[in-house]
Amino acid sequence: MTPSSSFHRAAGGKSVAGGRGTEDGERVAEGKGIAEGRSVAGRERAVGAGSVAGSALRAEPIDMAGMLAGAHHPGAGAVVLFSGEVRNSNRGRAVAFLEYEVYAPLAERMVEEILAAAKEKWALHIALAQHRTGRVEVGDTAVVVITASVHRGEAYAANRYIIDRIKHEAPIWKCEHYADGSHEWGNNCNCHAVTGDPAKHIYESDH
Amino acid sequence: MKIHVYAGLKDYFQPEFEIVGVARNTDELKGLLLAINDKAETILSSCRFAVEEGFIDNQFKLNENDTIVIIPPSSGG
Repeated sequence: MTPSSSFHRAAGGKSVAGGRGTEDGERVAEGKGIAEGRSVAGRERAVGAGSVAGSALRAEPIDMAGMLAGAHHPGAGAVVLFSGEVRNSNRGRAVAFLEYEVYAPLAERMVEEILAAAKEKWALHIALAQHRTGRVEVGDTAVVVITASVHRGEAYAANRYIIDRIKHEAPIWKCEHYADGSHEWGNNCNCHAVTGDPAKHIYESDH
Repeated sequence: MKIHVYAGLKDYFQPEFEIVGVARNTDELKGLLLAINDKAETILSSCRFAVEEGFIDNQFKLNENDTIVIIPPSSGG
């Protein structure tokens, strides 16, 4: 179910340092994300001790080999890389390409928070994720998640947790463009139909 | 109040628009949006709302100068 999140604003509306805070004045959602739609390739920042993560959103092709090359750690006996790729069919229909739309300021911070949560939960040495924005062709990579830990069990579990939460929670949307010229926003998270709350999710990795 | 919508919501609303009237919370905002397009009822029931890059719920007091982002269910990956 839904892990605790720092992306929820509390009731009240009290202004704190230019932003809105909780009722007791504690600031939520520190900092600002990148400008919407802007490529963030090349920008790097530390996510936690022992790792450096590139920004989560990329308008250009993901450099999977480069990500993997930077994902080695002397304390890690296991590195797991997941690559989500664009396939040529969806529910029996030929897919021409995908287009990803994103609410970048929030998506960027959510992915960062998900990575930090995974690092803490599984004591990972490295947790990285990048997701494409814009048009992505069949066979191209849409999302990459890399985890590195002492043993493989933690790296596998954490990787699954990260991709599950990105798919369910981050404000990223996929539009399928079909070979017949039609398009469809699709494969949305449908957890709310079960949980009754758009903010509560059921993850494959929980089963 | 300025409204930004994404993805499938753009089948029902302009990507960005200003709403006439003031909604004090998200339930009231949904009412104003349904007055614009009542066919959006199902998708709106599955959406989340955000102000200043943070999610809000119905307890959050909206201001007339707020820019509200309406976020349909995710489909990343």
